[in-house]
Amino acid sequence: MSIEDEFERLWRRIKEIERSIREYVEEEFRKALEDIRNEIRSIDRMLMPSWSHEGYLRPLYTVKDVGNAYIIYLDLPKADEGSIDVRFKGNLIMIKAKLKEGLRLSNWSSRGSEIKFHEYREVIELPIRIDPSKVRVSIKRGRVQIVVYK
Amino acid sequence: MYVEVYREEFLGDFRFIEYKPFRLQKPAYAIIALPDAGLVGVIGAWHIVKSLELEEVGGIDSYSFLPPVIVVSNKEIKLPVRIFAKDDLLLVYSEFMLPQAGMVQLSRVLLNYIERKGVEYIVLMSGIPIQNRFEVEKLRTYYITTSPKASELLKDVEAIPFENGYLVGPYALLLKESIKLRLDSIMLLTESFLEFPDPEASAKNIKVFSRIIGKSIDVKDLLEQAEVIRIRARDTMKNVVRNLAQMRKEYEYTPPLHI
Repeated sequence: MSIEDEFERLWRRIKEIERSIREYVEEEFRKALEDIRNEIRSIDRMLMPSWSHEGYLRPLYTVKDVGNAYIIYLDLPKADEGSIDVRFKGNLIMIKAKLKEGLRLSNWSSRGSEIKFHEYREVIELPIRIDPSKVRVSIKRGRVQIVVYK
Repeated sequence: MYVEVYREEFLGDFRFIEYKPFRLQKPAYAIIALPDAGLVGVIGAWHIVKSLELEEVGGIDSYSFLPPVIVVSNKEIKLPVRIFAKDDLLLVYSEFMLPQAGMVQLSRVLLNYIERKGVEYIVLMSGIPIQNRFEVEKLRTYYITTSPKASELLKDVEAIPFENGYLVGPYALLLKESIKLRLDSIMLLTESFLEFPDPEASAKNIKVFSRIIGKSIDVKDLLEQAEVIRIRARDTMKNVVRNLAQMRKEYEYTPPLHI
């Protein structure tokens, strides 16, 4: 093997290593950014009360990445299952559901006791653009499962 | 209204207050209800307090490990960790989750306090998160005991031994401390949600518990009120999930490599 070939081989190897390092750094950077975004979102959610003076409740929800899909579970106790409305826009899922009956906090807390709640409202952000034709929604005993295929 | 202090005791960084004298009948049982998966323990404990009409006899506070909070209950100021008692039952209840260092210390001093109160059996009730809880309707209850004497109580109950796996969180610490102090403890774990309040799982634990102590506790009201409880418990659940994530609760899903 000539010295040029040897040099060419070495150069290709250097380029391969450079590419793997760059991919590794980019991937780690993406993960770190995602973690920070999740952390900020979770702090936002923590500080945000689960009810609004405008008369709506915010449901508990969880988002799980299962590889080929995101599975979102929402807890909607006392929701009128026929009124559960799930819409998609870009990477957002918008959920609304009417309560079976108006609800007050007055029996449980002095704070916000004058407000009557009529519905649930929530907007959930996913890291991917949602294709509504690749979504499955199921409802069981006031709990909603949304499967968003990637 | 002020808190009447009948007796006060400092154990480590925790202040135990008794509002009135109380004595437990023998054999005495203690329930410790702390926030964990699906709030199964605290929801169940609150139902027991109401059903058996337990009396609030004391509380626990800590400036080092608990948030600067008081509980106002029917115009009366109470401490964040509440102690109830009646006949042969003592119940310790907290909706607040302590940081890990605080939980380690609380486990030690609380079990020490409970032992000195003459309690013979400690019952811990919680949920065991399952990933397919959304689909499951018939919930299984598992148990873990710290002594053969405690296992005797589970002979004729609808619960199966938890044979292999991990347990993460406040109850894991209480079990470790129970073993260290040679206390007879029983842990009941009913299949539940991790992130959503799960009153159905609480009801299942209560059914098993009532068989253990030989006292009937009706769960009809708890099941009827399940939806309202799920709404009320949303904020507590939200805060607990964050703390459970820091404790690496998801590790419970991991099968051990060696059994």
